Amino acid sequence: MSEILFSNQVIIYLLSESTLFFLLLIASIISVKILLKWDFNSFSPTQFKLERQAYLVSTITIFVFLVKFILLIYFVFTVDSLSILVPGAMCGAGVITANEYGMVLLGLKLLLIFLLIFWFFLHFYDTHTKEHLYFKDKSWLFLAIFGFVVVELFLDFQYFLNIDTHQPVSCCSALFGQLEGANPLPFGLNIALLLTLFYLLYILVLLTLNLNYKVVYLISNLLFLYIAYYSVVYFFGTYIYQLPTHKCPFCMLQSDYYYVGYFVWGALFIGTFIGMADVLSSFVIGSTNLKYQKLVSYLLSFFVLLCSSYVAIYWLKNGVLL
Amino acid sequence: MKKLLPLLIIFVILGISAIIFVSMAKSEQPLTIAKGNTEMKPLEFKLNFTNDSHCKMLIQHKENSLEVATPSGKTWFFDDPACMVEWIKDKPFKDSSKIWVYTLDTKRWIDAKKAWYGVTDKTAMHSGFGAREKKIENAIDFNEMSLRVLRGETLANPKIRKKLLGN
Repeated sequence: MSEILFSNQVIIYLLSESTLFFLLLIASIISVKILLKWDFNSFSPTQFKLERQAYLVSTITIFVFLVKFILLIYFVFTVDSLSILVPGAMCGAGVITANEYGMVLLGLKLLLIFLLIFWFFLHFYDTHTKEHLYFKDKSWLFLAIFGFVVVELFLDFQYFLNIDTHQPVSCCSALFGQLEGANPLPFGLNIALLLTLFYLLYILVLLTLNLNYKVVYLISNLLFLYIAYYSVVYFFGTYIYQLPTHKCPFCMLQSDYYYVGYFVWGALFIGTFIGMADVLSSFVIGSTNLKYQKLVSYLLSFFVLLCSSYVAIYWLKNGVLL
Repeated sequence: MKKLLPLLIIFVILGISAIIFVSMAKSEQPLTIAKGNTEMKPLEFKLNFTNDSHCKMLIQHKENSLEVATPSGKTWFFDDPACMVEWIKDKPFKDSSKIWVYTLDTKRWIDAKKAWYGVTDKTAMHSGFGAREKKIENAIDFNEMSLRVLRGETLANPKIRKKLLGN
């Protein structure tokens, strides 16, 4: 058995994930039953019972959504804390790449958060209609989410069971820094063009958000998320660490940097996820307006300001850029 | 102002598209893998612009460099026989792939499994294994060279270095 499993954080994490899985399993069984027999126009005792059970499923999903969100943060914290056990790892970057499951698992967790936000939107619209118009849509989405949760739980165990504490892993500098001249940036961009693209996309997101250009807003949000990730790792991150060679998305989650990574990544992912879920749900319900324009613009503006302020403060203090 | 916003959006989109397309057009990144080589022939590559797939270093000399070509058409590049041996040991195409090495003596690509390897040559990763087409004194064959790499018996090992070179 892997020694990693004796870590307190891993035990707490896996137990919590397993508990959530069993809750979702119960909810999914009920959901299938509801989907098969649901008839809102019927006044039969069966339909009445199904409506009460649907309420239970919704309550479970909202609870799971909240806990999953906290567990994602806790997962990142756990991975980061394991860096003292895995040889070679200096932060979560080394631990997450300790086997082939880590990065897939992290990606899946982010996808699940997005899907849960999307479900939450549909649920909100559904409960605000008298006939529960979007009930079937949100139930199908719930079943899809459950499918991903099954895969997630499998990957959770596979990941933690397969971390070898005797096998050295690469540290973040080896993973993100020393690329022997290879350009890690997408589209063959350089740092100057990457930053231009970063700010242009931010402006585009805000403009399309204000004018309700939903398709352009959705695409620009997705592209902004992609470009912002590289901008933080390869430019803004170096100002957070105050070291031009330190390029890592994980080290900023540590106490040495006042846990600022949680705010940076949190604002970026939640902001873009809410934006995209807002658009997708508006397509489902056929609405022309986006509901959470202010929240998205506040979160993304906070993200851009936070990143930019590190560069500005460094320049004001030192008179030069890195 | 509201009327100008759509125009502004068009300009921003044009700007973003221009940046992406111009960057993609001029992007010339170091090569790590070549595709489409289904004939499994040795490929010419650009020095100082091609990464070794194992040690990630840029390949600086054609002599003693290696290529692994698989039936799927993919080709990987290496700057030292030791890198290739370490890299290919757990690959599923270990036996089905064609391995080429550029020899020190005849200066041409030959089958790496038929080459002879000196044990005290100056190589990119200091393994000491220099590939030759013609056998020289103390040269070892491919299997022996692979075995020594996997055992760690290269010139990079101080004990082996002392044994072979006396320092």
